[in-house]
Amino acid sequence: MKKSKVVIITAGSVFKDNNRPEAGIILAMYKKGFKTLTGASQAEEALTHWFRTDETIGIKINTIGRRALSTRPETSLTLGLWLGQTLKQEENVILWDRTSEELQDAGYKLSTTGGSLKILATDSRNLGYLKEPTVNRNIGSLFSRIQAELISSSISLAILKDHGLAGVTAGMKNYFGAIHNPNKYHDYNCNPYVAELFEIDYIRKKHRLTILDALRVQYHRGPSYHPQWLADSRKLVFSTDPVAADAVGWKIIEDLRAEKGLPSLKEENRQPGYLFTAEKMNLGQAQLENIEIIEEEI
Amino acid sequence: MDRRDFLKCSLATSGCLLLPGVSLSGNLFRVINPASTGLSRVEARYYQKLPDREIRCNLCPRYCQLGDRERGFCGVRENQGGKYYTLVYGQVASLNVDPIEKKPFFHFLPGSEAFSLATAGCNLHCKFCQNWEISQMRPEQVKSINLPPEALIAACERYRCPAIAYTYTEPVVFFEYMYDCSVLARKKGLKNVVVTAGFINPEPLADLIEVVEAIKVDLKSFNQSFYTEYVRGELQPVLETIKQIARSKTWLEIVYLVIPSLNDNPQEIREMCRWLKNEIGPDYPLHFSRFHPMYLIKNLPPTPVSTLEALREVALTEGLHYVYVGNVPGHPGENTYCPNCGKLIIERYGYAIRKKELSRNKCRHCGQVIAGVWN
Repeated sequence: MKKSKVVIITAGSVFKDNNRPEAGIILAMYKKGFKTLTGASQAEEALTHWFRTDETIGIKINTIGRRALSTRPETSLTLGLWLGQTLKQEENVILWDRTSEELQDAGYKLSTTGGSLKILATDSRNLGYLKEPTVNRNIGSLFSRIQAELISSSISLAILKDHGLAGVTAGMKNYFGAIHNPNKYHDYNCNPYVAELFEIDYIRKKHRLTILDALRVQYHRGPSYHPQWLADSRKLVFSTDPVAADAVGWKIIEDLRAEKGLPSLKEENRQPGYLFTAEKMNLGQAQLENIEIIEEEI
Repeated sequence: MDRRDFLKCSLATSGCLLLPGVSLSGNLFRVINPASTGLSRVEARYYQKLPDREIRCNLCPRYCQLGDRERGFCGVRENQGGKYYTLVYGQVASLNVDPIEKKPFFHFLPGSEAFSLATAGCNLHCKFCQNWEISQMRPEQVKSINLPPEALIAACERYRCPAIAYTYTEPVVFFEYMYDCSVLARKKGLKNVVVTAGFINPEPLADLIEVVEAIKVDLKSFNQSFYTEYVRGELQPVLETIKQIARSKTWLEIVYLVIPSLNDNPQEIREMCRWLKNEIGPDYPLHFSRFHPMYLIKNLPPTPVSTLEALREVALTEGLHYVYVGNVPGHPGENTYCPNCGKLIIERYGYAIRKKELSRNKCRHCGQVIAGVWN
């Protein structure tokens, strides 16, 4: 069996004096991550592995944690602008999440201007959800029109967090923000719901890349913000395997928990079993022994 | 003031006629033209604070434990900074004047009209939900109007409805609003009826029973695996709810939506009827309602009428006194028959009463007391 590849890029100097990430360093992390993941000599060349120049790319961010604990604008805007400029199609890149309020609270300014990067929410004017539910196994949900209709390829740019119910929230669970009723899928540690949602064509066929924002990781009592359990990890995690990326994200959280003397998620009976379900559904690799983890620093 | 504010004002004040030109039945929303309003921020009841700004909701048997900024399974109650709020207090997403028979209540003020309302949200996820476009939504995803309890009562009086019905979605999730409205309505001489799936904890139910006159419980199945797969809930708490209501002075009716091949096993229905007779007696009405394909179950046909008839026969054979066929207008199973002399005492067609052979609460033919709330 061919191992899935996950790349972790760490940048010790990513945070500036004002405690916000430095966009230039973030960009360098992206470039190194993409090159390492694809083996391309240039990061720009790596992009062509995943995206055509004529398609609309959605970057699904996670802003439910508001300003304290969301995908940071420095992280997502850097990616979106670089992607748009490299593929010469900036207006075809959409940064998005479910509500305008959450985006704004997380520091984003909505943008629908033609010719430039778009920042949209499902509740933005003239968008919303599909009228009929999409059904897959135990899932029955209305999909955001952004995910279902506007975009043709997708990046899950999720913030990595401990999650009281799911165990871990990362790239796959980020797509809970693409449906109207995520509150219905949190029991049983979100298992099998995270996997079954990802399996739906609107996600599975469009998803190209997972990037985990692990610059600062809420490793305990997430997904809410608790500064006493927040670690400056200064990492970005890259993979084309959505399950493997999240499995490595889980490992990062477990390592932090162990370092701080906290019990493992398994000991707290909330390990993210949806990853193993996803593996059984052939969505990717959940077992670390089947994942090649490449760690680099800049 | 925009159009919405104007209409809110119209609903809230008594000086002008509410929604002029609206007939006394039908969806008031068509005329009101509502918009998505802001969310309410009224502290919820029945929860406990936990360390680290977490809370545990004790309203229903899910006992959702939520971190800051998280919502419960219902989607309408949110932890904000360690305090739990209902987001739908007064946020009415559906508003109609309905015949009470539509709920259905067949033994409670027959022929009267109920001022019927719902907010968004539900603490279950039935794959066959008939009102999923509001029940399975978060409040910000539906259009609603702000209707504080005082305005609701005033509107109900204006339409001369003797009762308010909390219905359509799951009133348990808007408990605080329902409770406050019920207290106020009772002071004004209005009655309160609740249409629920019964997935609620005993303590809030005990409080609710004190302020409402009738509750209709949707018993979805007599089988836990059905509840797990198609309802995302539990059977036992619903059975406890039924028993708790039956022990009180609040009137109870039970509806069983019959879905072909999923919950129509006659033996299971027989066991359910035996349980009902043993636990609450034979006098609470049981309605077998016809399913129509909806929401996530569109691959099954409507329930054959013959199935409903067969299940009604099972229930009557098991000794239940008042067993009805629902959603089949004109069917003889819509009528009430005296359990003593067998004669027709209330003839219905759909939601309309055609004939009533009751003298106060007794059969006009033989004098048998007919269980119910008739005046």
